Amino acid sequence: MSTPEVVSGSTSQPSPVRFRSARDLFSSLEGVFNEELFFLILSVFIGIFSGLAVVCFRLAIDWIHLALLGPLPQTHTWRLFAVPGLAGLVVAALVLHLFPGIRGSGVNQTKAALYIFNGVIPFRTAVGKFICSAIAIGSGQSLGPEDPSLQIGASIASALGRWLRISREKLRLMAPVGAAAGLAAAFNAPISAVLFVIEEVIGRWSAGILGSVVLSAVSSVVIVRWFLGSEPLFRIPVTTFKRPSELVAYAVLGIVGGIASVLFAKSIGYLRPRLKALPRWTQYFQPALAGLLVGLIAFLGFPQVMGAGYDSMDQAMHGQFAWKILAFLAVLKIIATTVSFVSGTPGGMFAPTLFIGAMLGGAVGDIERIFFPHLTGSTGTYVLVGMGVLFAGFLRAPMTSVFMVLEVSGNYEIIVPVIVANTFSYVVSRSLQSVPIFDLLTRQDGLILPSLEEAREETILHVEDAMLPVPKTILSAEDYVDANARRIHDSIDSTFLVRLHPTGWSVISREQIQRMFHEGKGELTLGSVLPGQSLPTLYPDLSLDSALRYVDDYPLIPVVNRADSHRLEGVISRDSVFQKYGARSTRN
Amino acid sequence: MIRDMQWMPSKLVPRSAPFFLLILTLAAAVSFAAVSHLVARYNANQQSRGRKLYAEGLADANAGRYDAAIATLRAALTCEPTNSQYQLSLARALRDSNDSRRLDEAESYLLALWQRTPQDAAVNLALARVAAHRGSIEDATRYYHNAMYGVWNSDPDANRKNARIELIQFLIRKGAPDKAESELMALATASPLDPAAHLQAAQLFEQAQDYPSALAQYRDVLHLDPTNAEALAGAGQAAFRSGNNSVADHYLKEAVKANPQDANSRQLLATTDLILRSNPFHSHISDAERNRRIAAAFAQAEKRLTVCAKQKGIDLNASNSASSLPAQQTRWMATKADLAHLRSPGETDLPDAIMDVVFQIEQQTAAICGPPQGLDLALFLISQKREAAIP
Repeated sequence: MSTPEVVSGSTSQPSPVRFRSARDLFSSLEGVFNEELFFLILSVFIGIFSGLAVVCFRLAIDWIHLALLGPLPQTHTWRLFAVPGLAGLVVAALVLHLFPGIRGSGVNQTKAALYIFNGVIPFRTAVGKFICSAIAIGSGQSLGPEDPSLQIGASIASALGRWLRISREKLRLMAPVGAAAGLAAAFNAPISAVLFVIEEVIGRWSAGILGSVVLSAVSSVVIVRWFLGSEPLFRIPVTTFKRPSELVAYAVLGIVGGIASVLFAKSIGYLRPRLKALPRWTQYFQPALAGLLVGLIAFLGFPQVMGAGYDSMDQAMHGQFAWKILAFLAVLKIIATTVSFVSGTPGGMFAPTLFIGAMLGGAVGDIERIFFPHLTGSTGTYVLVGMGVLFAGFLRAPMTSVFMVLEVSGNYEIIVPVIVANTFSYVVSRSLQSVPIFDLLTRQDGLILPSLEEAREETILHVEDAMLPVPKTILSAEDYVDANARRIHDSIDSTFLVRLHPTGWSVISREQIQRMFHEGKGELTLGSVLPGQSLPTLYPDLSLDSALRYVDDYPLIPVVNRADSHRLEGVISRDSVFQKYGARSTRN
Repeated sequence: MIRDMQWMPSKLVPRSAPFFLLILTLAAAVSFAAVSHLVARYNANQQSRGRKLYAEGLADANAGRYDAAIATLRAALTCEPTNSQYQLSLARALRDSNDSRRLDEAESYLLALWQRTPQDAAVNLALARVAAHRGSIEDATRYYHNAMYGVWNSDPDANRKNARIELIQFLIRKGAPDKAESELMALATASPLDPAAHLQAAQLFEQAQDYPSALAQYRDVLHLDPTNAEALAGAGQAAFRSGNNSVADHYLKEAVKANPQDANSRQLLATTDLILRSNPFHSHISDAERNRRIAAAFAQAEKRLTVCAKQKGIDLNASNSASSLPAQQTRWMATKADLAHLRSPGETDLPDAIMDVVFQIEQQTAAICGPPQGLDLALFLISQKREAAIP
C-alpha cells in the first residue's frame, strides 16, 4: 500500500497534476513525524475509538436492561427473579465457548498485557467483554461497566498498535493508554482514570507515558459527553464541612469502610479459587446461580442491588433511605457482587465498590448524627465520602479515590474529610489484608505483576547507605609530587582521592605516586602528571543502583554535596556497594 | 493469546505515518457517523418511552399516588435524563409526597433546573413550595418573589397573583402577619378596580386576623359593587370580629337583605343585636336603661351558673368544692344586694363591679360547660371586648 494509491483511490478521476500534489503533500509530511509524536497523535485516536465503543457499550447495557427487565422493574415479580439467572446461563455459554479470555478482572488482564504479553490483548477480548458484560449488567448481575470499558479501551488500543506495527516498546504502552480512555469514558472522569491507570495498571509514575494517557482519557471523555451529555453521574446535593472537629466522624467512617473493604476482598479471595476449582461443567451454572441469588434479593424487595446501582446511589445521596436500609443494602451488595464476580461473570467491581461505600457512608453518617446531633455533615456528604472510602480500602488506589470523589462531586470543600477518611480506610485495609485485591486475583491466576503498593513498600538503597567516611588524606593536584608522597607516607590507604583545579576529582594509587617520585617527577605538580580523566561524582540521595555502573571502573568514587560540589560528603567503593547489597539480600 | 504473542511487531516506519493518520481519521469519521446514527435512533426510542412514562407518572401524581408517580417519573427521567419538564414533575411529586426525606431530592432537582434557568417562574414556584414545606420564611419569600417576577409560559398575570396569594397564605400560617400584610397591600393595589381582587385581599386579611384592614377591603369592594352579598357578609363579620358591633349590625342587615339564605350572617346579626341591646356600657343609653341591662345581665348570669352546675353535677352550696362555680355563686350572692344601690348617684364604680361578677360567671361557665348561646353569648363577647380594651 503506497501513498499515491490511497490518494488516487479517493478521487474519481485523478489528474496527474493532483496526483503529484497529493504525493508531494505526503512527502512533505513524512519528515514531520517521529515515533514519539506519532504515538501522541495515536493516543487521541485511541481515545476517540474507545469513547465511541464505550458509548455503544452503555447503550447496549441500557437496551438489554429495558428489553429484559422493562423500564419500571417491579419487585415480587418472577421476571426480576428469573432474568439474571437465565442471562447467566447465556453468558456462561458464551464465555466458555466463544470468549474464554474474558473471565476475570480487566484491570489485571491489561496489566498482564503490559508486563507479560508485550502489550497484546486480542481484539476478540473486546468483543467478548462488550457482549457478555452488557448482557450480565443489563440483566441485573451486581457488576459495573467500568472494568469492561477499561478492557475494551485497552483491547482497541492494542489492536490498533498491532495493525500499525508500532515498536514493541510502544505497543506495550498502548494497553494502558487505551485502558485510561475506556475508564475515563465510563466514569466521565478523566483525572481519576489517568490516576487509576497509573496506580493500578502501570504501577509506576512514568512521565514518558503520562502525556499519552492524559490525551486518550480526555479525548474519550469528549466523545462520551458529545453523545451522552455532560451530566455528571450523580446530582450532588449541598455538601458542607464546617467544623474541623467533625473529622473524627469521618475518621470513624474510614475505619468502618476499611473493615468492610477487607471483608469484601476476603470473601472474593476465599470463594473465587474454590469456585474455579470445581469441575468445568459447573461453570455453565455458576453465573446462573449467582444471577438467581441477585434476582432473589431483588424479588424480596431490594432491586437496588441489581446492576451498577448509580440511581440508588443518587437516591442515597439525597437521603432517600433510612440508615437501616442503607446498611442492609451495603451488606446485600457485598454478597451480590461477591457471588456475581466469583462466578466468572464478566463485569467490573468499580460501581459496586462505590455503591457499597455510598450506602455504608450514609448509614455511618446517619448513625453518628443520632448520637451526635450537632454534626453538620449531610447524608449526601457522608455518602460521597463513603464512596471514596471503599475505593481506597478495597481497590487500594488512594490517590484515585480522593480525586474520583472530587471529580464526581465537583466540590472541593470536602477534600479534607475525603483525605482523612480514605487514609484511615487505606491504613486499616492494608493492616488487615497485606495483598491488595487486584494482586490477590493475579496471584490466584498464577501471575505475579508489579504494583505501586509493592513499589512503595520496597526498600530503596541510596548512595548514602553505602557511603564510606571522607578519607583522612586527600591530595591536591596543585601540590608537587614529592609533597604528596610525603603526605601519604604515614597513611595506611592504598588509593587516594585527588582534588583537581579548579573543579573535579581524580584518583591515584600509592604505587603510582611512589613511581613518579622515583622517576624524578617530584618537582612537578601532581595535576600535570596525573593519568586518566576526572572521576564521575555522585550525590548521597541517588539510588545505589546508579553507582553500580561506575564501581568496576574506578576504585573510589567521590560523593559530593549537591549545593557545593567541592564539599566531599564521603566516598563509595566497589566493596562498600556490594557489601550493602549483600547485607540487604541476607536480611531479606 | 499464545498465537498473538508470537506476532513480532516491527518498528513503525515514520514515513508511513501520514498515510496511517489519514486512514485513522477516515475510520474515526465513519465510526462517529455510525455511532451518531445509533445514538439518534436510541434517543428517539427513549424519548418516546419517556413521554409515555411521563404521562403515566403525571396521572399518578394528579391522583395522589405519589409513590407510583415517583417511580414512573424516575423511569421517565432515565429515558431522558436532561428533560426539564420531567425533572420538574418528579421534583413536584417528591415534594408533595409528604415525606420529609424526599424534600432533599426534590430540592436537588429544582436547584439544578434553577441554575440552568433562574428566571423560570415555575421552577421558582416549586422551590418556594419546597422552602415552605421546610418552613423557611426567608427562602420561601425569595423564591415566591422570583416566581412573581419570573417568566411564565402562560397567563402570567393570574399565575403571579396566585403565587402572591400562596405566599400570603404561607406567611399567615407561619405566624408572620406583618410580612403578609405588605404582600396583601401589594395584592390589593395591584388591581384597584377589580372587586374580586379586593374581596380576595379582604379574606386574606381576615385570615391574618387583621380585621380593620379586612373591613377596609370589603368597603372597597362595596364601593365598586354595592350589592355584593359576599362583601356585605364579610364586612359584617370583619366589623363584628373587630368589636365594631354597630357597623357589623349595619352590614349584616344588608347582607341578610341581599342574601336571605345566608344563615351565618343571620346568626351573627342576631348575636350583634343582642350585644347592642344588652351592653350596659353603650354610650348612647340612659342611666335607667343601663341599670335595666345590668339587672338583666345579672339575672342571666345566675341562670347560666345554675344550669351549668346542674349540667356538670356541681353542688353550688358546697364549701370545699374543687370547682370554681360555688365561689362564683357566693360572689354573685354577695353582689346581689348591691343591685339596689345602682340608682344611687355616688356609686360610679358599682356598675363595673356588678358586671365584673357577670363576666366572671360567663367566662367560668364557658370554660366548664362549653360555648354559650343567646344572651349568654352576647355577655360573654362583651366581656371579651371589655378585657381587650383594658390596657
